[in-house]
Amino acid sequence: MKEFDIISTRAHRIDTPDKATGQAVFTDDITRPGMLYGALLQSPHAHARILSIDTSKAKALAGVKSVITHEQAGHIKYGVSPARYDETVFAIDKVRYIGDEIAAVAAVTLEIALAAVELIEVEYEILPAVFTLEEALKEGAPQLHETSPGNLCAEVHQEFGDVAAALKECDIIKTSTMKNKRQDGAFIEMQGCIAEFDNRGVLTLVSSTQVPHYVQRTVAMVLGMDVGMVRVKKPYVGAGFGIKAAANPMELACCILARETRKPVKMNFTRKQVFMYARARHQFSHTITTGAKKDGTLMAIKHECWLDGGAYTSFGIATVYYTGSLLGGPYKIANMSYDGYRVYNNKPTCGAQRGHGAVIARALFEQQVDMIAEEIGMDPMELRIKNMMDTGDTTCNDLNMSSFGMSECIEAVRKGSDWDKKKGNMPTGKGIGMACGFFVSGAGYPIYRSDTYHGTVIVKLTEDGGTALVYTASAEIGQGSDTAFAMIAAEALGIPLDHVRLASGDTDMGVDLGAYSSRQTLMTGHATKDAADHAKAQVLEVLAEQLSVPLKELDIKNGFITFAGDTPDFSALRTRYIKEHRGWIDNPDSEHLTFKEASRIAFLEKGSIVGTGKYKPHNLGGKFKGAAVGTSPAYGCSAQVAEVTVDMETGQVTIDSITDAHDCGKAINLTSVEGQMEGSVSMGIGEAMHEEVIFNDKGQVLNADLAEYKIVTSMDMPRIKAIVVESDEPNGPYGAKEVGEGAIMPTIPAILNAVYNAAGVRINELPLTPERVYFAIQDYKDRMAK
Amino acid sequence: MLLPMFEFHEPLSIEEALELKKKLGQNARILAGGTDLLVHLKKKLVKTDNLISLSRIKALSLITEQKDSIFIGACATMAQISRSPVIAKKFTALKSGCDNLGNHLIRNRATIGGNACNASPAGDTLPALLIYDSVALLESYGKKREIPIADFFTGPGKSCIQPDEILTGFRLPIPTDHSGAHYIQLGKRKSSEINVVNVASFLEYDPGTKKVITTRIALGSVAATPIRAARAEAALLGQAPEEASFFAAAEMARREDCRPIDDFRGTAGYRQAMVGVLTKRTLATAYERAKGA
Repeated sequence: MKEFDIISTRAHRIDTPDKATGQAVFTDDITRPGMLYGALLQSPHAHARILSIDTSKAKALAGVKSVITHEQAGHIKYGVSPARYDETVFAIDKVRYIGDEIAAVAAVTLEIALAAVELIEVEYEILPAVFTLEEALKEGAPQLHETSPGNLCAEVHQEFGDVAAALKECDIIKTSTMKNKRQDGAFIEMQGCIAEFDNRGVLTLVSSTQVPHYVQRTVAMVLGMDVGMVRVKKPYVGAGFGIKAAANPMELACCILARETRKPVKMNFTRKQVFMYARARHQFSHTITTGAKKDGTLMAIKHECWLDGGAYTSFGIATVYYTGSLLGGPYKIANMSYDGYRVYNNKPTCGAQRGHGAVIARALFEQQVDMIAEEIGMDPMELRIKNMMDTGDTTCNDLNMSSFGMSECIEAVRKGSDWDKKKGNMPTGKGIGMACGFFVSGAGYPIYRSDTYHGTVIVKLTEDGGTALVYTASAEIGQGSDTAFAMIAAEALGIPLDHVRLASGDTDMGVDLGAYSSRQTLMTGHATKDAADHAKAQVLEVLAEQLSVPLKELDIKNGFITFAGDTPDFSALRTRYIKEHRGWIDNPDSEHLTFKEASRIAFLEKGSIVGTGKYKPHNLGGKFKGAAVGTSPAYGCSAQVAEVTVDMETGQVTIDSITDAHDCGKAINLTSVEGQMEGSVSMGIGEAMHEEVIFNDKGQVLNADLAEYKIVTSMDMPRIKAIVVESDEPNGPYGAKEVGEGAIMPTIPAILNAVYNAAGVRINELPLTPERVYFAIQDYKDRMAK
Repeated sequence: MLLPMFEFHEPLSIEEALELKKKLGQNARILAGGTDLLVHLKKKLVKTDNLISLSRIKALSLITEQKDSIFIGACATMAQISRSPVIAKKFTALKSGCDNLGNHLIRNRATIGGNACNASPAGDTLPALLIYDSVALLESYGKKREIPIADFFTGPGKSCIQPDEILTGFRLPIPTDHSGAHYIQLGKRKSSEINVVNVASFLEYDPGTKKVITTRIALGSVAATPIRAARAEAALLGQAPEEASFFAAAEMARREDCRPIDDFRGTAGYRQAMVGVLTKRTLATAYERAKGA
């Protein structure tokens, strides 16, 4: 393997000093001169016709500068996927969930804006509402959208191979169901934004977003502006997990208020509004049938899933496809069918969240793999390895595993958890379980159909030659992408990391599709390497000419020029450099020519040295309908072992440890990779153990805060042994691929398999509250007694 | 969510506070740690024109040991109570209630008086106050009265405090030798949690006869207020302190003493079952501690 100087180390993150000292600027830290404060009027009813809106009293309140409704905002539909645009900034004729946006106010203080919102008079005709899959699907049920009869937002039907025929050949067939609960991303920073027009009509939107590019396009489309007149900037962001991966109505309302008032306008979601806006993980109801031969060969999967979608589509059309497409791997399974349905109802809209669409399907299927292993008396790890895809294999739905360290991950957790000693030797109430999973390293195609580059990067060398500036429109949201790209640029240029300065998260810097689908390391990483290579080549070309050395003999390493052959006499270049720096006391005197000298000479010959880089994936996937969803240039994969203690009398589950191995290709920054692994486990534990958004019978969220929406606390987190398994991904920059989402895949099924091992019960509904586990144990005892 | 407007009063003495309370009556709320009240104000669940903060009255945050009792000021925080050597030694169930309330940040602010006046059926210190036979000390302008803790709670969020009264603290008799107590709370996660069920038990046994001579069992989250499990206590009294009698008492608590309801934290059925488990476990540990005491 190639030796690296910068990447694959534990370099300190470049944002750490800012964050550790509180100097990192987040959206709400920003104040602009003359700034107004905006507030939203949101529907108090889950389903109602709007008969009239009277804003006169609100407008009359002293300090109010603008009150807008659909009349000012216009009726342009937007959403995530252009084929499924079903939202307008403000409700026009009806509201579809508690929280649907109706109007917005800008005022000189937030207090006045909130008071003005209370003064807007809306006359509603309350309509009957539906809150569950069953209610929404009933004949004669109230309809949310005229264009979607039966409240069916989307359906997908796919079959690869011949499932019925394959199942006939199976010795063991397992059918079971599983249901999770609607999630919240529970990021620390609530959505917020500031919109401002300059005197030339350029709109700048500063927003807490994962996707400046998509927000820029949506804002331009909805406000009827040229994309070039809209600039979206993302300061530091306190995470997103998928929920911030599309333009939200507050961002759009904020831009319209800024347009109306010609003043900067700031708006923020409260935590309650974060829950009302939602867009996090759907509630999935899966039924899966898995068939296997008695030697353990997995033969076929029959998969049906119903998604509780909420009021609008958002990411849902992608979700319902992902749910099916990411199931078959990481195993060699030739036959797979999928019937997926996403259903509208009068609750907030669900969208994408870490492990988009695939987490609960995985949680069910990995339990069935264990059931099959148990029935044939095979170790669950052996059965998985037996069926595991190899590097280069393609799934039945045309996903190609160009690198695949899955078996290595299993071996790593087997050893790391002492599996062979523990499995089968634990007392009642203690259990051990494992599971596998895989995920895309970036969606193969953009959300809107396009041949666009997925990322462009500029590397500019400063005129003095000492520093490389990296400009990328990618989104650092806490995951460490800025550091990763600075490291890639430093590695490619052959200079120390502290000679790289990086700026990101600004649409003026280029195109980058943003931080979603675990895409940036691979995609933005490629573009960064490409740009750095380009800049380096320009420096070396000048040097080759100046020194009369063949270009291919030149390289840069650790900030010095290296020569494959004899080192030529470079004293003339050094003298030229030093002459320009009379009086300076730190002129180069090393035996080797420095990058700084070479780069300065290149500037003197050619002007600014600017390297440009770009990336888009090669053509991926099959030809069938929906073939694009699930494609990726590479797939990360992981295996986890969970050890649990179940209190057989109370049903309380304690997770004692998680051993986690992930194949992320080449790890750019080992510490960041481990951070993503641990973060994924934490989110997986939360969903497995206690997280659920709870509604009352009016469609109102009952636990719209982080006191009652129960993410894991430090007291709930077990020790995590994170093992980084490296493979060399041919499609990744320096062999790198994802870790951000794939690492959550095995967590829930590993816990469920461990609970089964400890208590003898399979639980088909999340979360594993003490109560649910207790009743499952009671039910099991009753069945055993009979 | 913004706090609504209110007048903020910071009296420096109990007398001054009582005078304000007399003047403002129901138009004023007492602010101690604020971990519940400020949240309720923000959510508009509580409305008031006046907040009287007790935080500058030093006497209210004292913990003092007398000959046969201790005084815990109403404004003593969870963290402060937990750190008190006498409480760690002699009131282990109270310490464990304090240690399990909310999280570190909350425990640095939340007070025992606030926990009692908030009168949540799930309150973390309340079962312990019940089993230690605490006395609530109430004062109004020119008048003092003492209420046994068992009579203090009148409903969810309600206590017997009158509009002109302030809770100044609790008096807890020091437990005798050969006694022990324990508290267990059960929730969905291990911290920052509101209990699904919480139980505290106290027992004293006669080392000569090896019989239980005093027992108090308190159940939280299974009735409109934290309650004593009278039938369970009666069942255990005079019995040998052993697994079978703990189980019998627990069965009594489960079947006869608790009256849980379904809500979004849990069903009545589960709560009832857990009353049994937690009663049995708290009694067993209380006895272990009594033997060691």
